[in-house]
Amino acid sequence: MNNDRILAMLVLLLLISTSPIAIAAEGDDDANVILDRELEVGSGVAIEQSIKIEVVEVKTDIIDCAKLRISSYQKPARVISIFQGDSPTEYETSSGTSMYIKVLSVYGDSVYLRVTGPEDWRVTNYYTVESEEEEETKEEAVTIPKLDITRTFDTTVSEPGQVIAVTIKIRNTGNGTATDIVLDESPIRGTYKEDCPTTIEDIAAGETKRASYTLKVVDAEPGTYELSPSILNYQSESGVSFSSESKTSVLEITAAEVLLPAIEVSIDPVDSIMACGDDFPMTVTIRNVGNATSGIVTIKSNLPPDVQVVSGEDDPVYESIEPGESEEYGVTLRTHGEGKHIIDVQAMWADGEAVDTIEFWAEKSGLEQYYIHILAAIPILLLLFWAMKRRKDYSY
Amino acid sequence: MLNILILGLGQCGNRILDAINREAFGSGGTFAKYYSRQKFPASVKTIAINTAINDLKELSDTLAKDRMHVPHLHGVGANRIIGKRVFGENKEMIMGEIDKRGSFDLIFIITSTAGGSGSSFAPLLAKELKQTYTAPIISIAVLPFREEGSIFLQNTAFCLRELVEMDAGGVLLVDNQYLKKYAGDIKSAYDSINTTTARRILFLIEALNSEMLMVTDLGDLKTVMNGGIGVGTMGFYEASKESTIKSAILGSFKPSGLLFPANVYEDGARAMLVIKGNKKFLDLDLITKTVEELSREVGQVFKGVLIKKGRPKVLSLFTLNSVPELEKLYAIAADAIRFEMDKKEQSKKRLDDAFSHIEDLEPIY
Ligand SMILES: Nc1nc2c(ncn2[C@@H]2O[C@H](COP(=O)(O)OP(=O)(O)OP(=O)(O)O)[C@@H](O)[C@H]2O)c(=O)[nH]1
Ligand SMILES: [Mg+2]
Repeated sequence: MNNDRILAMLVLLLLISTSPIAIAAEGDDDANVILDRELEVGSGVAIEQSIKIEVVEVKTDIIDCAKLRISSYQKPARVISIFQGDSPTEYETSSGTSMYIKVLSVYGDSVYLRVTGPEDWRVTNYYTVESEEEEETKEEAVTIPKLDITRTFDTTVSEPGQVIAVTIKIRNTGNGTATDIVLDESPIRGTYKEDCPTTIEDIAAGETKRASYTLKVVDAEPGTYELSPSILNYQSESGVSFSSESKTSVLEITAAEVLLPAIEVSIDPVDSIMACGDDFPMTVTIRNVGNATSGIVTIKSNLPPDVQVVSGEDDPVYESIEPGESEEYGVTLRTHGEGKHIIDVQAMWADGEAVDTIEFWAEKSGLEQYYIHILAAIPILLLLFWAMKRRKDYSY
Repeated sequence: MLNILILGLGQCGNRILDAINREAFGSGGTFAKYYSRQKFPASVKTIAINTAINDLKELSDTLAKDRMHVPHLHGVGANRIIGKRVFGENKEMIMGEIDKRGSFDLIFIITSTAGGSGSSFAPLLAKELKQTYTAPIISIAVLPFREEGSIFLQNTAFCLRELVEMDAGGVLLVDNQYLKKYAGDIKSAYDSINTTTARRILFLIEALNSEMLMVTDLGDLKTVMNGGIGVGTMGFYEASKESTIKSAILGSFKPSGLLFPANVYEDGARAMLVIKGNKKFLDLDLITKTVEELSREVGQVFKGVLIKKGRPKVLSLFTLNSVPELEKLYAIAADAIRFEMDKKEQSKKRLDDAFSHIEDLEPIY
């Protein structure tokens, strides 16, 4: 039954949001507005003396809704739930006249209502619902406090260093005064609470109190925190202990954005193999991949002793490199040494250093390259001839 | 440096010669000859002589030019009479081939006494060489397995007698029958006998050719070989960790290390000992004392000490005053010859009897 309603409502919501004309067709705007204001839970309004609308409860679930108790002359009170965005709900009095009630929005403990109806109808009284009235159903008029606690953060996403304002709203929905109220807020590691009250003054039935404090995120690890509920411990006037708790809240702490330069070096290398005595050019790129402008960047290249710089810039110094920008320089090297060579270029700045390394082989050029093969082949051939001769010597 | 000639006659002699050539390549195995050089302890010339070309082809470590074929079908079929005739026909060629190799200080003739070619060539060749060269000629004679048959025994008997009578330089015996213990099958027994014999000959040559601490030389060898009846054998012992040099020397006379069964203490005429090893193991006083003790029992004992790496190895070489094992062999051989003769006579008689049936008859057509 409830589900059906929700479904029907969803469809309606969709209709309303897609066609503003539909709202006009309801005659919402044209009709005489009797009431258009926010009503707290536990408050009531009287229209034409006898028609009474009282806010029993508000719910802020998937779809916000308010529970209203409506009564009028010769008609017993009945409680109806009206969902936010629902089309106006009709209420017919015993005389056959109708008025329409619409929930415009729902807050933590209040609801914005609009009531339309006959031209001459007026609000005749605003009042607070007497608790006795509510407790009518109860057999005895024992005074019991009942505290509802709601905790809200002014932001649910925060980063280190930020201050979060936390509001705690406590409402006594019971019929007795709550005394010795103790607020217990569990801490989050890496944050600290400032001005967080631990005791709260007595709250009379129907009364609402607010408390607030600030939560400072100091160095909490980034992540999503589920904050355990605020817990209220209190007593009735007769000394009975009660306790209630808020819902859990979720607080996301993001990593602080640090502004730092970060330098990367890359050597655009020569071929990995080259001939001895040949020139080979090398381009070095220094890029700031950080998010802040760097200070002085000093380049230092380490060449093996048998590698010489023939031309080009040798170890430049850059005053600063903007984030995302890069500098580039080229050198031409030459070696006469055969074999593996390792070159590394280092960039050093205030906060760190980066290095890139390349390896290359230098080979004897041209014929020289095969020299060793030829040298190796000679004894092998000689051995082969020798072995062949031996074979002949020993075959009879 | 000594010039040494080693002749391998017949299949058996060829194979032992081949083993000598192989051992001279060191431990390189079958392929050593393709890359390595022979390390003879002296200037050594080798010739393999055979009537059977297949036996020569079978060799692996002897140079082709050192293999000499004396053409006569496929061997002489253990017939020493044919063998002698073939030698006579080819004497010039054989001697010419040997002469090409220069002059020699010592000559070895290796042969089986049992076959046809080797056993018949050996005494004749020894005689020829004795006339041509002054070098002592030592025959290494390989005795057959006793079960190889009466012809082999008979050949052995005559061959040995001829070798001894030739008095060229002594005979050293290698007994297949005695060394059968080396292996289970004939083929591997041959291989180990050949290798063992080859190593001892090389050991001896090394000793003769080296500068030694205590000296033996060719003269000593001659004296030893002239001792007794001019027939002897060789022994060998490699010292284990615990053994003293004395036990190693005595070990070289033990039956287990001999190539032919003999009792040196009882029958020994003259002996020669070559001791080789690391200096730290060689207590010269102890060696001298041990050799003196031995001399009291064996007769003249020459000794040589070679300083080389490794634990002591001792080679003994000796001649005998009497050879009971040979006497036994001759007895068996004589029986065998007589038996053969009887059999032949009987067969002849039977055949004659058969022929007598047609004595006075002529064929009629
Ligand atoms: N130790 C040893 N003995 C062998 C070897 N080959 C053959 N014999 C022995 O030698 C004897 C036969 O003599 P061979 O050398 O084969 O005969 P040969 O001199 O070639 O004479 P023919 O073949 O008859 O022309 C037998 O007693 C065999 O046991 C060998 O490789 N090592
Ligand atoms: Mg043969």
